[in-house]
Amino acid sequence: MNYTLNKAAQPGQKTSAVDAFKKLWPLLAEEKRVLAFAAIAIGVNSGLTLVTPLVVGHAIDTFIVTKQFGGVLASSGILLGMYLVILVAQYLQTTLMGGVGQRTLFRLRNAVFNKLQELPVAFFNANRAGDLISRINNDTDKLNQFFSQSLMQFLGNAFVMLGAGVFLIALNPKLGGAALIPAFLTLLLTQLTSGWVKQRNAKSMKALGGMSGEIQESLANFKVIIAFDRRDYFRERFAEANKENYDTSVRAGIANNIFTPIYQMAQSMAQLIVLAFGIALIASGNLSIGLLVSYLAYINNFYNPMRQLAAFWANYQTALAGWDRIAEILSLETDLQPTTTEARSSSSLLEFRDVAFHYTEGKDVIHDLNFTLERGKTYALVGPTGGGKTTTASLMARLFDPTSGTVFLDGKDIRAYSSAERTKKVGFILQEPFLFNGTVRDNVVYSNEALANVSSAELEKQLKDMGLSELLVRFDKGLDTPASSGDGMSLGQKQLIAFIRAMLRKPELLILDEATANIDTITEQLLEDVLDKLPAETTRVVIAHRLNTIETADEIFFVNGGSLTRAGSLQDAVDMLLHGKRAS
Amino acid sequence: MAKPPKQAPQANLFALLKPYRGMVVALFVLTVLGNGLNLIIPLLIARGIDAYTKNGTVATMLYIEFFAAAFFVFIFTYLQSIVQTYASERVARDLRAELSAKISRQSYAYIQTTNPAKLLTNLTGDIDSVKLFVSQVIVSMISSVLMIVGASVLLISIDWKLALVVLTIIPIIGTVFFVIFGKVRTLFKSAREVIDWLNKVINESILGAALIRVLNSQTAEHEKFVKANAQAKDVGMKILSMFAAMIPIVTFVSNLATLTILALGGYLVISDQMTIGGLAAFNNYLFLLIFPIFILGFMSNIMAQAQASYARVREILDTPETAPRGTYSATLKGDVAFKDVTLIYGEKPVVKDVSFDVPAGTRTAIIGPTAAGKTQLLHLLTGLITPTSGTITYDGRDINDYNPTSLHAQIGFVFQDSIIFNMSIRENIAFNTKVTEEAMRKAIETAELSDFIETLPEKLDTVVSERGASLSGGQKQRVMLARALALEPKVLLLDDFTARVDSQTEQKILANVRANYPGITLISVTQKISSIEEYNQIVLLMEGEILATGTHEELLKTSPEYVQIFDSQRSTSHYELHAE
Repeated sequence: MNYTLNKAAQPGQKTSAVDAFKKLWPLLAEEKRVLAFAAIAIGVNSGLTLVTPLVVGHAIDTFIVTKQFGGVLASSGILLGMYLVILVAQYLQTTLMGGVGQRTLFRLRNAVFNKLQELPVAFFNANRAGDLISRINNDTDKLNQFFSQSLMQFLGNAFVMLGAGVFLIALNPKLGGAALIPAFLTLLLTQLTSGWVKQRNAKSMKALGGMSGEIQESLANFKVIIAFDRRDYFRERFAEANKENYDTSVRAGIANNIFTPIYQMAQSMAQLIVLAFGIALIASGNLSIGLLVSYLAYINNFYNPMRQLAAFWANYQTALAGWDRIAEILSLETDLQPTTTEARSSSSLLEFRDVAFHYTEGKDVIHDLNFTLERGKTYALVGPTGGGKTTTASLMARLFDPTSGTVFLDGKDIRAYSSAERTKKVGFILQEPFLFNGTVRDNVVYSNEALANVSSAELEKQLKDMGLSELLVRFDKGLDTPASSGDGMSLGQKQLIAFIRAMLRKPELLILDEATANIDTITEQLLEDVLDKLPAETTRVVIAHRLNTIETADEIFFVNGGSLTRAGSLQDAVDMLLHGKRAS
Repeated sequence: MAKPPKQAPQANLFALLKPYRGMVVALFVLTVLGNGLNLIIPLLIARGIDAYTKNGTVATMLYIEFFAAAFFVFIFTYLQSIVQTYASERVARDLRAELSAKISRQSYAYIQTTNPAKLLTNLTGDIDSVKLFVSQVIVSMISSVLMIVGASVLLISIDWKLALVVLTIIPIIGTVFFVIFGKVRTLFKSAREVIDWLNKVINESILGAALIRVLNSQTAEHEKFVKANAQAKDVGMKILSMFAAMIPIVTFVSNLATLTILALGGYLVISDQMTIGGLAAFNNYLFLLIFPIFILGFMSNIMAQAQASYARVREILDTPETAPRGTYSATLKGDVAFKDVTLIYGEKPVVKDVSFDVPAGTRTAIIGPTAAGKTQLLHLLTGLITPTSGTITYDGRDINDYNPTSLHAQIGFVFQDSIIFNMSIRENIAFNTKVTEEAMRKAIETAELSDFIETLPEKLDTVVSERGASLSGGQKQRVMLARALALEPKVLLLDDFTARVDSQTEQKILANVRANYPGITLISVTQKISSIEEYNQIVLLMEGEILATGTHEELLKTSPEYVQIFDSQRSTSHYELHAE
């Protein structure tokens, strides 16, 4: 699967309002009951809001014109009762719909995050961190604004607008019909332009994602920028992204803002039509003055929500563009599913059978790889840089699947294991150590079920038993030293933490990918001792450039140009390194 | 209604608008024109109804006036929306540019302490909030105040007694807004904190994706996220409950105004103190009055948020820039010296009283255990960090005297961690723009990268992805070396360069460096004694202090610690010696 987002801007496909609602519906489906109650509250609220001008109009016609103050007071009493009901209905409507919005957003964020956890490493290699972060932060926020604020007003306004429309037609079909002509024209216009509006918003969001990627990259690598005297680099790259963001935002802004004046114009035209046509109707005895006053109020009741809807429409288009970008992530499927291929038994702990691999649309990084790893032995992978060592190791841990051939783990196709089973068996210390914000303790017990609820004393005992405590001397506050992924710790210290973390998990197959490259040789001897204390059946795979790290290996594989040669001895390996041709 | 807090005058949002005076004036004029005309429309309706009730006809001129008013309202609001978009986007763009320029001038230490993630929020979220202020608040404030005043005047002119009663809703609604928004504001603050937390979890899960998959800790990460997300939902619910209380009350109060118009206005019409047309107009104007009050309430909230955001942005803009820059520039000979240099992080000294000389053209190695302060020494030499006390000199002159541009152009630094930018290999290597094509070619040859680059689909112009995911560890390291060498530096600093490159390539590359860059001063942090035995000087560093300095032979005689390190590597060195 190709995991690259941001492929090409999709052609501006038009989304009708109905299609758009259909798209968002799955997110709301769980809230059906609440939505039903909310709809009742909205109905009551909007219905009464519509009836009240009628009461006013009626009171003017029947009581004020005929000068019956008692009737006016009675009407006022009825009106007050209605307003009280509106008070309650509006409270319920806000609470219920707002609740729907918050919960939906909660589910949406969880869904996106969950998907992110399902996707394989290849996905993260194919996309920039800054862009992903922007999608999850900024784009869900657009949906947040829509769900928590606009949706309720959207529905409420739509309700009032429809109700007012029905009233306008029912009270006087001719006058009502005429009053709705401007609305019809503007709705048509909106419908025709919505694809264009959405596309402009999508472009603007993409530019924002690009800008945030640029900032992320430059700030994370600030020391290079300073040391190479390229402070202008950040400024220039940022200026470019900023300009792109400005251009697309202005375009989106103009597209979004064009509707307000148009809708306002439509409202005025409707009033003009009602006034002129209404007076003609009164002259012919088909309408009363009181009804004309009510009609003018209904025009406002119809067009004001429509104007609001126009504002929300832009909001809605933005939310939809955000939703598309999120849906793009949600629609990706990991191709690393556990499969149920029949187990061709293999007696070794790990076996590569005819394995080949290439990254998306590249040439083979690895080809015809056949080898086995036995229990309890130590293997070293040596070879020039770029020869395929890390890729081989990644296949052992199923960070990728081979493009052809099979990797067998403990007799079974590695793809047949659940990720929990697999990661319990395979421990992999990555070339680039990563730390979570927290303390050294948080990081070494991270994702270790056995140690999750263990007391400090118990943890320290375990560390001591495994010979790991001596490594903690390298941290000024021991286990309580603050840790973070940033530049706060040296690379060697990060590697030590990664090492301790992997050891505490006691894997059956332990892969060290240049895991100790930046650790001094004395401390490294301590690590050797720790490795020696591992259970006898643990299989070790060591990738290293320093020869002393691999001299204790039972077997040495020379990896170059994507294929593997068995070296008879360390001497052989050294010879191969000296005389072997460099990768590709 | 909330007023902007008047503490720090430099964080004044309105002062920010000064350079955009023209656009703001245009906005003001267009808004006044559009809204002023809009106020006339109900008046025209009232005139029409009254004319009909009196005369039984309405002059055609009235309809023409009506249409003209509506048409010009359209023109003015349309122009206003365009100006508004340009003004707000321009303010945001310029503020971003100013902020980024400021950040780009700051020191490395500053970026580390302020935290890149926070700066990212400043450059995006905070500026968006200021943008929202410009795009929404200014126009809305002007038009709302105008509408309220205009509608009030008209109401009073129709009937001042009724008007006074109706207008009492303004202070009532104002008070409700004031109280509720006061509470909401503190909630917004905690909402922001929760979102920061949420973002942190997201960032870690993206940057640590590979590790999370190796440890199968997706569920744990998800739980962490759900916890933060649930908190976000709770805060959202609290904010919601505030609005759920406020909106119905405010609507009710404004509905009471309609009730007053019917009852009291009805009485006035019945007692012939008011016309029916006047009553209809009253009803119409009421809407014109209430809507702006609502808007004003919400705008005051947006404005308070923008104010807070702008204060954060301002804080960065007003931070004094680091250390005055020196102006001295000269071609370096390459003598480097540390004199009593101490560096303290927090309370802990990382480097203690370090002094040593590196004469031009010589090779010095710094070795020592993990976390001994080796990398810090190199950072000090580049001026990335400044010592707490002591001096660092180049050719006998304090590093602070030098013009940083001239100095950095002569020092090549190969960092320990791989830093590859999301651009072509060419741009990554010729990162400093002054690098010539020739210098770049030489650097590529020296770093033994030519063969590799030949295999790439677009050679030098192949774009490598962020964090260099498409390059192997050793390749990244060599690209970084080429980047440093392309400067044709007088001093080359290597931070554990040998860690990710095989010995054979390493030796070849270092020989290339000596042959192609004669006279270069080399300072190398390393773990591997076999490659530094020939060096002029080896500095043994432990817990920030120098334990010993000397040549390999001298240290073998004088330093037991050195001997210990040597022994730890000795078992394999005969292979390597043999290999040579």
